[in-house]
Parts: sequence; structure tokens; C-alpha cells
Amino acid sequence: MKSFTYNDMQFTVEKAGNAWDIKNGAAIVAAGLFPGVADADAEAKAVALVKTIFPVGVKVVGPDVNHPITVGDIKYFPPAVNHANFVYWNKDSSSQAKW
Amino acid sequence: MEIKGKVALVTGGGNGIGEAVAKYLVKNGAKLAIVDMSQKNIDRVVGEIKAMGGEAIGVQGNVTSEADTAKFVKATVEAFGQLNIVVACAGIIKDSFLLTLDKETGKVSRKMGLDKWQPVLDVNLTGTFLTLRDCAEAMVNGGWEGILVPISSVNKAGQTGQLNYSSTKVADALLPKIIIGEFLIRGIKNVRCVGIAPGYTATPMVAGMNQDALKAICADVHLGRLIEPEEIARAIGHAIENEAINATTLEVTGGLCYKGGIAK
Repeated sequence: MKSFTYNDMQFTVEKAGNAWDIKNGAAIVAAGLFPGVADADAEAKAVALVKTIFPVGVKVVGPDVNHPITVGDIKYFPPAVNHANFVYWNKDSSSQAKW
Repeated sequence: MEIKGKVALVTGGGNGIGEAVAKYLVKNGAKLAIVDMSQKNIDRVVGEIKAMGGEAIGVQGNVTSEADTAKFVKATVEAFGQLNIVVACAGIIKDSFLLTLDKETGKVSRKMGLDKWQPVLDVNLTGTFLTLRDCAEAMVNGGWEGILVPISSVNKAGQTGQLNYSSTKVADALLPKIIIGEFLIRGIKNVRCVGIAPGYTATPMVAGMNQDALKAICADVHLGRLIEPEEIARAIGHAIENEAINATTLEVTGGLCYKGGIAK
């Protein structure tokens, strides 16, 4: 059995007879896949399939509704910059020049 | 086309007719991709298919999103290596009359809003279009034998209170004729298209209706009862297996009639 974390979710790839099941926690993402495929190949295929089914685009983190900063009636909710998935546009984006 | 060994994708596969179709196809040896908006429903259906000894994947997706339709087609082909059967069951209702009058003044007090109109068109028509388009693309490029099954409704005949829904379902019923006509022109011979137009079916939504209203509906059905989702599934199975059925929409209504006994 192989376990891996992807997009904050814990997946397992389990052999079920001749084939493979993919689970996300207790939920079955896929059942009976890749019959007869060797372990390493099946696990690689499973990881690729999980990435297709659960694509990571821009993950919105927040807002921090408990944040205390307000300007007049407007309350500003900054993102959680310490979250693992937070993306800095000027450091992490391939379309921006690095400096 | 034989069902056994084929790969099927069912949108709206997490409950109702979609779930019944998915399980019918699994029982007959197909591998299934279950697409639904509800991850909870997907988890349940995929779990039940596994318990049946079947092969399945579940993909959460919104059929109105091009990114999502591309995603679930790609996932299906990645998982099973091909795609042969597509049943576009995802659909919604948001019933409303075009105009509602004030009882005292006789003037219009309310009109159907875009909030009732647009989502129904988006899911039932645009969602079906995107699903069939992207699945057909995969079938043609893969060279796989395939069938596209849009789901219409007997209410394509024009059901009051369902200007939005009936408009989409009459369009869905027309899709097979246009698609197959275009496939003929383009020389695409490996993909058929057959619509299914269910009558009043015992889905959780319909079965949960007011029981008096349900009795009145059944009184207009020659069969005398609601259609079971499994009966719709069997009709789809027949359309898959009989390649002479093509470019048409089959009604499965149990003999639904207008008052006075004229079949709808």
C-alpha cells in the first residue's frame, strides 16, 4: 500500500486482488483499476490519476474572518500567508520577472 | 455494441436515473466513471459499485464548466484507457410560470427571473453539449466505438411551469439528429447518438412529491405507475446494444397521456 499527500488530502493506493483501489481517507476514489499492472506502475498511474481528478489551480486560503483590521465600515481580510499553498505572485509565478 | 468490457461515463451518476444507469452498466460488465456535483453521492455510488465487484472512478465535476468536462473525460481515459458510452444525466429543475398575476388587480405581480431560467439552461443544455462534445472528441481521436446518450424528458412536449426545463429538453431531444447528421458529413462512423426521454420516473425527487399530485400524474399513465429508474437504464442498455437505433430520441413513459387519452 502506498500513501501520499496531495493538495492537503491523504490518499492511499491499495491492491485489491489483481487490481488497485485508490482511497481518499475512507472514501473510495477508484475501484478495480489497472488490473495486472505491476506495483510501481500502478502506483505511478494512481498518483497521476489523482492529480487529474483533484487538480490544483489557485487555492483560495482565507479569508481570515477573525482579523481585527478595519477601515471605517470595511473590514479587510488578508490571506493566510503562512499557509503551505500560499503563492507569492512575484516569487512563484512563472509569468512574472524574478527580482 | 456490447456493453461488457466497455467504458462508460455517467454525469449526474450520484443519484436518481444516473445512479441506476451506472449500476445497470456495471452489472452488464462496463467500467464506470461517475461524475456528480456531490462528492458525498460519488463516494457512496463508487463504494457500492466496488461492493458489486465493479470497476469505477468518481470525479466531482460541474458540467457547465469546460475545465471540468475536460477533467472528467481525461480522468476516465487515464483510468480505463478508452471511452465508449456517455450518458448525460446531469439535470436540474427550477419551476416557475413566465408570469404570475395579482389576484385582485389582474396585473403582473411576478415574472420568471434569470435566476430560474439561466441555471436550467446552463446545466441541462450547455452541460449536455459540453459533455457530449468533449466525450465525442475523445472517442473520435481515440478511434473507439462509442455512443452518446443525451437525456431529454417527456416534458419536451411543453409542460406548463417548466418553460425553462421544457425548452432545454426539447433541445436535448434534437441533439442526436443534428450530431449524427454532422458525423455523416464529417465521415465519423464510430460514434452513434441516441437520446432517451423518460416519463415520470420514481427518482427520490419525484417520489418525494405531494402524494395527491403523484396520484394525479399516475392516473394519466397507461401503465398506472411511475417508471422505475432501472427501466430507463434498461432502455439505455438496449439503445447501446442495438446499433440500428441512431439519430433519434426514444420515449420511455409507460404511456403518458393528456386528459382524454391522447398519448403525449
